[in-house]
Amino acid sequence: MKDTVIHATNTIAIRHEMRNIARNLLEIQAVDLILGWKKGILPNKSAPAFIHRPDQVDDLIFDEFCYHNLTKFLLGCPDRQDRIADNEDRLKTAIFVKGCDSRSLIGLIQDNQITRENVYIIGIDCPGLKEEHNTTILAKKCETCYTATPVEYDILIDSPDKRPENPNGLKGFQAHRDLAKIENMPPAERGAYWQQMFQSCIRCYACRNVCPVCSCKECCFDQTLPNWVGKGNNTSDNGFYHLVRAMHVAGRCVSCGECERSCPMHLPVMLLNSKLGLSIEELFDEPPASMNFDVTATLNHFKPEDPEEFM
Amino acid sequence: MKKVGVFVCHCGTNISQTVHCEKLAEAAKTLPGVAFSTEYKYMCSDPGQTMIKEAIAEHGLDRVVVAACSPRMHETTFRKCIDSGGLNPYMLEIANIREQCSWVHSDKDKATAKAGDLVNMAVAKVLKNEQLPSSFIPVHKRALVIGGGIAGIQAALDIADTGYHVDLVEREPSIGGKMAQIDKTFPTMDCSACILTPKMVDASQHPNITIIPYSEVEKVDGYVGNFDVTIRRKASYVDSVKCTGCGLCSEKCPSKKIPSEFECNLGTRPAIYSPFPQAIPNKPVIDRENCRYFKTGKCKICARVCTADAVNFEDQDEMVQIRYGAIVVATGYTLYDHSQYGEYGYGHYKDVISGLEFERLVNASGPTMGKIKRPSDNTEPKNVVFIKCVGSRDKARGHDYCSRACCMYTAKHATMVRDKIKDSQAIIFYMDIRTPGKNYEEFYLRGVEEYGVTYVRGRVSRIYEEGEGENRKLIVQGEDTLLGKQVFVDADMVVLATAMEPQPDAAGFARKIGISYDQNNFFSEAHPKLRPVETLSAGIYLAGACQGPKDIPDTVAQAGAAAAKVVALLSKDEMETEPIVAKVDTDRCSGCGFCIPICPYKAISFTDLTERVHGSVAWGPTGKEVKRQVANVNNGLCQGCGACTVNCRAGALDLLGFTNEQILAEVDSLW
Amino acid sequence: MVNSLDPTCNTTPEPMTPGSTTPNPTPLEISAAELTVPQNTSAASAKDIASDWEPKILVFACQYCTYAGADLAGLSRLQYPTTTRVLRVPCSGRTNPQFVIRAFQKGFDGVLVAGCHPGDCHFTTGNYFTRRRYLLMTRLMEFIGLDPRRFRVCWISGSEGPKFQQVVTELTDTIRPLGPSQKLWDEGGISS
Repeated sequence: MKDTVIHATNTIAIRHEMRNIARNLLEIQAVDLILGWKKGILPNKSAPAFIHRPDQVDDLIFDEFCYHNLTKFLLGCPDRQDRIADNEDRLKTAIFVKGCDSRSLIGLIQDNQITRENVYIIGIDCPGLKEEHNTTILAKKCETCYTATPVEYDILIDSPDKRPENPNGLKGFQAHRDLAKIENMPPAERGAYWQQMFQSCIRCYACRNVCPVCSCKECCFDQTLPNWVGKGNNTSDNGFYHLVRAMHVAGRCVSCGECERSCPMHLPVMLLNSKLGLSIEELFDEPPASMNFDVTATLNHFKPEDPEEFM
Repeated sequence: MKKVGVFVCHCGTNISQTVHCEKLAEAAKTLPGVAFSTEYKYMCSDPGQTMIKEAIAEHGLDRVVVAACSPRMHETTFRKCIDSGGLNPYMLEIANIREQCSWVHSDKDKATAKAGDLVNMAVAKVLKNEQLPSSFIPVHKRALVIGGGIAGIQAALDIADTGYHVDLVEREPSIGGKMAQIDKTFPTMDCSACILTPKMVDASQHPNITIIPYSEVEKVDGYVGNFDVTIRRKASYVDSVKCTGCGLCSEKCPSKKIPSEFECNLGTRPAIYSPFPQAIPNKPVIDRENCRYFKTGKCKICARVCTADAVNFEDQDEMVQIRYGAIVVATGYTLYDHSQYGEYGYGHYKDVISGLEFERLVNASGPTMGKIKRPSDNTEPKNVVFIKCVGSRDKARGHDYCSRACCMYTAKHATMVRDKIKDSQAIIFYMDIRTPGKNYEEFYLRGVEEYGVTYVRGRVSRIYEEGEGENRKLIVQGEDTLLGKQVFVDADMVVLATAMEPQPDAAGFARKIGISYDQNNFFSEAHPKLRPVETLSAGIYLAGACQGPKDIPDTVAQAGAAAAKVVALLSKDEMETEPIVAKVDTDRCSGCGFCIPICPYKAISFTDLTERVHGSVAWGPTGKEVKRQVANVNNGLCQGCGACTVNCRAGALDLLGFTNEQILAEVDSLW
Repeated sequence: MVNSLDPTCNTTPEPMTPGSTTPNPTPLEISAAELTVPQNTSAASAKDIASDWEPKILVFACQYCTYAGADLAGLSRLQYPTTTRVLRVPCSGRTNPQFVIRAFQKGFDGVLVAGCHPGDCHFTTGNYFTRRRYLLMTRLMEFIGLDPRRFRVCWISGSEGPKFQQVVTELTDTIRPLGPSQKLWDEGGISS
């Protein structure tokens, strides 16, 4: 449903178009909620905005600090879930998405968590975000992202500032900056590296909570029956948590990098996802997750001719 | 308070010679939850089982571990035992200390330590066992037989005779199948039609059989006892109720030169036709492709001459859905396309024909009225060469397998040539002669000794033509491996014994109805020896050559066996299902649907769940009812593999009998 | 203002090592010297391992193939070390990777996940999913520093009693010189 493209020449123009589109949608009562970004309280941190009325649309902004992937706000909202179930012809929700966000939106639609018809998707060509603490450099989470243009939208705000396509196409684009370094470590050093990482983790679950493809109603790590993992903060259980989380998002991770960005301990959480993402590419010759609606999650199907290593 | 009883078996000396059974039983007493532990020479024996039952009563045990042989051996035995002792049969775990311990180790201390660990694991698991209820599903007392050849007819008759209703679906206009095309049957040389057509009539007149001709199975939903089958009745353009089967339409049809499938294209038929005179039902159908009206918009002669007003050019395909308790698949076989063997000149030389074509040539009701005439010029062939294993036992171009019936029918053909044409020669090229059946070897020897059939051992390398007109003949060049030299045989006609192979759409059909098939696309039986007519899908059975190459006696026997299985199933009002199935915790299920594609039995689907939402939510009022989708497992379809449980990240799906908790407890038990 | 950027990644040093415990916005790179590399990293020397030490190996065996294969090994009296503990699952597709991680967490010295050969699954497709899942899983475990020799996935059919014997014997012989596995991320660190 890639309908309309609106051209904007610079960020001011993008903001202008955002507000126009939002105002129009609310005024014609096509939607009753718009998820976007607004100026944050802290410097260099834009905040999510929830726009209900036309007079709020001037809060909307788009700048180099709009880190938040808003798609997860579409979940956990029974009122909206209800619409999915009874297919009532009620108002939609509109959402602003960057390229990476749009992939996670496809992921959530594939996971039957959102119905495509119930959301109005406003895509923004993303120029790449900036580090919060050093506004001259590209945000780390954007290093693995080359989907500057959203892969799904109802309307797109096109901009000449958008980040160029990856010259290598989709091949290898999920590679984390530090992946090769870790892979080249001797096994013992690698073990020690992870040992240290799991030791440093405080199990705040920020990486899980922010992850746009973590959409379970009740996470297995919160369960006590069965007690998959100890609830305390210790290296062993932290390790279990990180590995299992990596397996759970394997083939579904859209490499938006939010897990790593939100980690208060600055742990390279994305490394595990990146490793699995590249393994999937190499083993099964599949495109990265949720680039379109056609390919389902890697662990949801198989090919009889998959590589054989277990004879 | 959970009370586990541990029972250690010596298995005579099988276990006790390598494992200290007394020590093992003693050590088990110290395990948490174990209230009683003992050992005995033969736990599976009557006194052994009595001991378990008595211990359950005496010590108030609520779950049992038996340390003995493999659960594959005696799990059922001990389940029955504790069932009669008053426990739920699934409150049992087996520690396999024979096959996986005492028999594979010799160091008694180490083996005892390992056995201790195995008991430990079993105790840890059994503490998490839950009583599993047997559930019952109703059985719909109607059977479907797919395929109206001899296998399908026999199965239908056998089921119908016991009082259950059977629908017999056939895709051709008439039932009868390949057997109707055959002239005589080995080794008795009965006329095939003489033994088949009475059965066809029986089937058509049986009060419990409904023949659904010219129809195909489109879809099978549901599960054992409750299959919902969609059948496509193909448009025949003739109202079978009104039609009296007088045959006037076929007589008057102007398009008469259509090659007849039934006659293997050696004869012709009109566009409105019944495949053969003894067809059942004997109601014609219009072949749309070749009908003058459908091609040009003009004609309708058949409609005009029909006194019953049965011809309906507006007829459409029709879908009907019927519920069945059991299904017999008897879709038969087709013949290998021997044009692959270019050097045999099939299609190129008219006088190189297949065995089935020979059956039509020699059949009294066939295109030549039973006179053997070669197709090219209708003269009587004097030298007839037969080539066996065309497409069978040939890895390079055909199939690896032996088609089983060819040796016998080739012997039959050769005998018939010698019998009907007194001054003829019948020469058979063969690789081996396989006659494993009652009176088969005798039949083959009679051909050689009484009828003078010549057997030449070796493969034919080439067939080519020589001469013109009257003198035209085929030269068969091959090697006589017994003499070790090339032979050249003059032949007036060559008959190829082509391989039996699955129907071209067999694999697709198998997927459609949910049964498995082998590397050759023959349908797979559940066990090659012990469950030869069942499939791995409960309630679906196999009969005849769709399962593998077969001759008529074997096909009929298998059809009877399949019918017996169907009757055994239908005779129950409801059937007990295995309680080891996946179970959904709808509170945890987010409805992501990852379990759905991973299930090979299509047992999981979405269902709507209505629930009341409490607590604070971001939008909307609380305490209101919302509907959401959750996974739902159909217990009738689920076979308990547990693949779905691993794809469920939230652990909302669990496999009863092998729950996440049970397996984690086993892993943890040794530390 | 958002400007277009050079698409090449910037190379500003970022922490290679996780774990600056203070939420410092620009954490310093921890040098390799600060990594606590366990001493018994490579194959432990013979003196470190008690002479009578035997590894403990957990085998997840599908009941239609590998469990039957293990039973056949028993019926044929094929001898193998007492190191294995077989855990029966209905299908290799039931073996959740979480069970495997749990086993290493608890202290098993090795884990074998075994099932029917692809194409032979009693449940038609279960092992194809197993194969996909464990192709990733083995890579992940190696990536986090687990010695790949401790974790094996293998197809063993119901008729392959000798193969069962051979695989568990090999696995035992491979793990024995490695010494006891330190429980995954237990205080002593991951063992190789």
